[in-house]
Amino acid sequence: MKRLIYIKFLLLAGALVFTSCDRKLDEKMEMDASDSFDYTSPEGAKGALIGAYTSFSDMGWEQIPLLSVLGDDVNAGGLGDQAAYADTDKYVYDNNFWMYNSLWSVWYEHILQITVQIDQLEKFKAGGVNPQLIDQYQAECKVMSAFLHLEISKVWGKVILVETPDQTQLKLQSKDEMMQWISSQMDAAIPYLPDMRPNQRTDIRGGITKYTALAIKAMANLELKNYQAVADATGAIINSGKFNLYSDFNNLFKIPGKLADENLLEIQYSDLGVSSGGNSKNHLWAFYGPQGWTPKVAGAGDGWGFYEPSMKYIKFMLARGEHKRLQTSVLFTNRGITEIKKDPAFATLPSWVSNTTIEGDVINDYTRAMFASGKHYLPSEQLTPGRKDYGSNKNYIVTRYAEILLMYAEAVTRGASPSAGTADNAVNLVRNRAGMSPLSGVTADQVMDEKYAELGMEWGIRYFDMVRLGNTAALSYDGRTFTMEKQFLPYPLAQLDKIHSLE
Amino acid sequence: MKNKTLKVSCLIAAFYFGNSAMAQSVNDTVPKEQKIEEVVLIGYGTAKKVDLTSAISTVKAADIVKTPTGQAAQSLQGKVAGVQISSFGSPGEAPKVTIRGIKSLQGDSQPLYVVDGLFVDNIDFLNSNDIQDFTVLKDASASAIYGVKAANGVIVITTKGGSYNKKPKLTYDTYYGVQMANNVLKMANAEQFVNFVNESGSASEIASVNAAIQRFGRSRTNPNLPDVNTDWYKETLRLANIQNHSLSIDGGSEKVAYSLGGNFFTQNGILKMKNSYERFNIRAKIDAKANNWLTVGGFINYSRSERYDDEASAWSQIYYAVPILPKYDYAYTDASPYPYGDAQQLGYRDHQNPFATLDNADRLTVGRRITFNTYAEAALLPKELTFKSALSYSSQNDRERNMSLPYYVRDAFSRTLEQSSMERNTTLYENYVWDNTLTWNKSFGKHDITLMGGTSFADEWFNKERIKGNFYAGSPFNRYDETTWYIANLNPETITVSDYDKNDVALQPKRYYRTSYFGRLSYKFDDKYIVYGTIRNEGSNKFPYEKTINLPAFGASWIVSKESFMKDISWINLLKLRGGWGRLANDGINANRASVPASVYGIFEDQLYTGYVFSTFLDKVKREFTEETNIGLSSEFLNRKLTLEADYFIKDTKNLVIPVLPIVGTAVSYTNVGSMRNKGYEISMGWRDKVGENWGYYINGNFSHIKNEITDLFKQPFINRGEPEFQQRLAVGQPIDVFYGWVLDGVYQNDAEVAADPTTQGNNIKPGYFRFKDLNGDGKIDADDRVYLGSPVPTYYFGASFGANFKNWDLSVAIYGQGGNKILARNRGEVIKTPGRNIDAEVAINRWHGEGTTNEFPSSEGYRQLWNQRMSDFWLEDGDFVRIQNIQLGYTLKADNLPEMRFSVTADRPFTWSKSKNLMNPEVGPNGVDTTTYPTPSVFTFGYSIKF
Repeated sequence: MKRLIYIKFLLLAGALVFTSCDRKLDEKMEMDASDSFDYTSPEGAKGALIGAYTSFSDMGWEQIPLLSVLGDDVNAGGLGDQAAYADTDKYVYDNNFWMYNSLWSVWYEHILQITVQIDQLEKFKAGGVNPQLIDQYQAECKVMSAFLHLEISKVWGKVILVETPDQTQLKLQSKDEMMQWISSQMDAAIPYLPDMRPNQRTDIRGGITKYTALAIKAMANLELKNYQAVADATGAIINSGKFNLYSDFNNLFKIPGKLADENLLEIQYSDLGVSSGGNSKNHLWAFYGPQGWTPKVAGAGDGWGFYEPSMKYIKFMLARGEHKRLQTSVLFTNRGITEIKKDPAFATLPSWVSNTTIEGDVINDYTRAMFASGKHYLPSEQLTPGRKDYGSNKNYIVTRYAEILLMYAEAVTRGASPSAGTADNAVNLVRNRAGMSPLSGVTADQVMDEKYAELGMEWGIRYFDMVRLGNTAALSYDGRTFTMEKQFLPYPLAQLDKIHSLE
Repeated sequence: MKNKTLKVSCLIAAFYFGNSAMAQSVNDTVPKEQKIEEVVLIGYGTAKKVDLTSAISTVKAADIVKTPTGQAAQSLQGKVAGVQISSFGSPGEAPKVTIRGIKSLQGDSQPLYVVDGLFVDNIDFLNSNDIQDFTVLKDASASAIYGVKAANGVIVITTKGGSYNKKPKLTYDTYYGVQMANNVLKMANAEQFVNFVNESGSASEIASVNAAIQRFGRSRTNPNLPDVNTDWYKETLRLANIQNHSLSIDGGSEKVAYSLGGNFFTQNGILKMKNSYERFNIRAKIDAKANNWLTVGGFINYSRSERYDDEASAWSQIYYAVPILPKYDYAYTDASPYPYGDAQQLGYRDHQNPFATLDNADRLTVGRRITFNTYAEAALLPKELTFKSALSYSSQNDRERNMSLPYYVRDAFSRTLEQSSMERNTTLYENYVWDNTLTWNKSFGKHDITLMGGTSFADEWFNKERIKGNFYAGSPFNRYDETTWYIANLNPETITVSDYDKNDVALQPKRYYRTSYFGRLSYKFDDKYIVYGTIRNEGSNKFPYEKTINLPAFGASWIVSKESFMKDISWINLLKLRGGWGRLANDGINANRASVPASVYGIFEDQLYTGYVFSTFLDKVKREFTEETNIGLSSEFLNRKLTLEADYFIKDTKNLVIPVLPIVGTAVSYTNVGSMRNKGYEISMGWRDKVGENWGYYINGNFSHIKNEITDLFKQPFINRGEPEFQQRLAVGQPIDVFYGWVLDGVYQNDAEVAADPTTQGNNIKPGYFRFKDLNGDGKIDADDRVYLGSPVPTYYFGASFGANFKNWDLSVAIYGQGGNKILARNRGEVIKTPGRNIDAEVAINRWHGEGTTNEFPSSEGYRQLWNQRMSDFWLEDGDFVRIQNIQLGYTLKADNLPEMRFSVTADRPFTWSKSKNLMNPEVGPNGVDTTTYPTPSVFTFGYSIKF
């Protein structure tokens, strides 16, 4: 009887051992659909990075102008078309205006896409691709995401931080928190990024490098008025000795300036050198262009006339005796020239002020604006033969060495200890290229003027500088009144519910 | 242990038959005291019914076989409180069983079936005659021990088995009957239709009527009508037969008990096309005592079915085909294979003829299924410690052949031979479960303890292969000769073979493993106080974020009637209070979706680079947890003649998987961040008695109320569902998929009324148009005037049955009803897209056609206007209905020199009273959208059984 019991328990023990099949839980469901992509090849990983760049580069025509138009360097053209855009220029905000929603939703879509790419890149690490390479690719993505976060936060202040594609983990961050996050993200990315100029990269020419990250770190700290950090980051760029100003200021913004040594980040476009089709990718530059011109190359398309350098800017430049930079930055119409001359102080203008550009395109009078932006213009003679679209094949520069030098100079004049030479030196490098005489003992105000002159019409840099300094007077021009309550755009109506759901 | 269980089961069966007022073998040798020791199945064991702490109901064989159906679960409709069954008329289509409401936005809410220990998702393979009983575990405290597959409740099925020491008994059972559609929807006839068209103001539609007169001649009775008056439902519906034959033999020796059986069931569909279901199955079950401590046994069931599925798209065509179109237009010789009447010839957009669809589809599925179970049970310590090991296996092989046959109505509505296709699907599904349990029982003094521990391992595997292609021109294909329906006749260039498609759920092979450890403790003190607890730890490879989970449950009951202070109350036989709590997990939800990369081009230095962007959604799906609290009362009064059971439950799905609308970006992700609550009560009462020697009768009733409510959507105010034109929503505080729209406030009767209402300004409103409630009073009818218009999910359901027997005669009547829900008359709503179609008779007859004619229906002209077509309560019908579920009259012939025989006539679902006149079938499924599904037929049968 005893033995029988032993046999029974032996059977029982055997059965229990048999059923321990826990390791089966680690087995994949057959053909797990989430693994349908090959995560083992470096080419695949590079493809994921290219995807991030593509998303970053996908700029609509309406987004950058919206954040730029607020400044005293540029006004809305359009004359009744896109009235709310013109109202925004005058600090009358309408949260139901589609451009606000577009800037917010499209750029957040890009941020999300780039964040997804970072997530997906991680799978390539598990797939055996060189982890250093993946670290670098992810760092590049982080720089793109940081830049878009930076711009959105500058426009709206408290905005959503997207660190993960998990929508349930999003959070609202104040502008200061956001800038600190960007700064620390850049610190985390820098060690993994190539130590070279973007145009020195051979794998992805013009891609992001360590210096792009430093530039964005500087921008974030500038917003925080953490001038020492600005000086350190920009100083590191200057001290690298890798960057220099492109000698021809005018052509910097044109085809010859593509991938110049001056550029730290630029969005690349191309018509691939063919006269039509061929997967060409172009920015819709027409938004900025003059409406009605007589191009040197007949048949070249004109623009929509929505982006007008301000009279204030033009007179500021004339008063300083600027030639190169003004001639490059502004396309004059005869109507505009007449309007300038109405001011007794500018009754006589230098002879080069003309409605014919350096490259020989004639800007005719048009009702929507008196001037157009020269930095967003491509001479018709530089178009690839056969291409008609305004600005076709032109790149969009995001940040360049001149801005780095001037950020450095500003930081130093505001008390940061210099690590890359004097502020005078930095400012005079920029002035020299512009054909302006050197200054000595530059003050912070002089640096701000220099930034205005050098960086006008670019990315709302002027507006955000003035907001940072609380200079409401500068922004209250030509009948506008700016107060600090106006510094941020109201959240787009279409996004309000979603934003409030995060609070 | 097994022996004892079996003995008790026999007693139960005897108890049941003896009191069911069925004049079947009444075995009065069982002492009355033992009869109450009814035993029910609980997770991995049995318990005395009186000891239960949770809500469990049992339905026995005699009640199951009353319903003539190929789908055994159908017989539960109306029998069990808390269980809602939606039946479908299509032969071979399983009814939808919902236990205590919808718990998830995904999956089908179907319960787990445990057939003699085997876990299955459906019981297609069983014949009603094979089933000894259904045990429905309704609340979580009872079903949690079954693990993740039990999220929607559990129905435990015991198939018929033999008995030890019993002479072999041969039973033959059959019925034959006929099915017919009832409550057929009344559509406008030619006269009503033409009237309606003439008032529509639509020149093209009036022209179509004239074209019909031109083509088919004038009606002699009314010269304004064409000489055609087609009732498309009459044309497409038919009488259909149903029959079943069952043969079984069971018995047993001292050591072996056995049962063998076979069934053959056929049912034709009432839709006039190749539409039928046929199934045979054979089964065997055996239990054997190997020695004094070891029992072994098992069952095996093989079933084979052939099903010709209906062509579901035909139902909407039958609804909208105009009555002025004949089925066949013999003058139209272009059409093939039959001279189909073509509505486009009359100027309509489509050909409309449903026969072009019905005749030219052939959808065959041949299903084969083997299930078996084998067990060994060892009494390690006699009557105290038992070990049981059981291995169950199920294999299902379905071969589908879907034909699209060539036809021609006109160029735009035709299928040439080259467009005709054949699709073959082969599905293989395998599932095995190995359970091991160790049960310890001990009674000492006033204490009774049962302790059970066990392990379970399951392996589930699914795959499907699809071959699809089109015939080639000149191939020997012949639509009347199935020997030409082979791949050899397909054009090789069109053939696709696939066994994996990440965009098609049906074509994704799956293999799931589950390992589980579980235990149960029940403790009873003094036969009065019972506590009960179970725990199951379950792991599966389906959810990488959460491999294993724990599912606890506990319950307690107090048998108040056994307290000394109740001793003297003789009319109370049993009064028990019980309560329980349990957690269930649902893994029937979709696994995380794959991120699908899309190719993009980037530009670097004027060169194109290829890249990928990945999907921006991020699914983080884990199992859903449902926690349920149940409190209940079980009682018996007046010498057990009166029984009353009542339960109240609150069931929360805590981490409901919901679509999370993106805060940034545009892609919707699925995550467990919602919650949903079902709460309700159930009451069942029964009364049975005998009058004198010859009369017996019983009456039973049950009523269930359930309220479904979304309780959290992750701060999202709502999520749109349904179609944009007929919006449904998920919204906090509202039932799932609640209808959302404007509220009707009558019909404008004259110009003065229109002019007096500011909301009509600038909208070109005429008399005969709807007046909507301007709920926010801003003088406009706009999006802000919308409200929630009702739940698509029934809020109550009930069943009742009555039976009486006199000598050898017996009669039973069962009714079923449900309601509280709204149903979207989606077919009627199709007018918003295509007006040139038939309308139901309600709309045609009740249309507004002059001041004072109606305040509920628009004019014919208004019916075509966007203003009136917006989503409002006009499109919603009440879902309430009551149905005579089953009437059966039987006679049992018992004579000394004859085998026992029984004759019966049954009318199944002969009458339905529906609150809405616009529904053919009020059982439309949980989203409440009626696109006119297959009508549930009434079935009239004659049955006969004989026992040797």
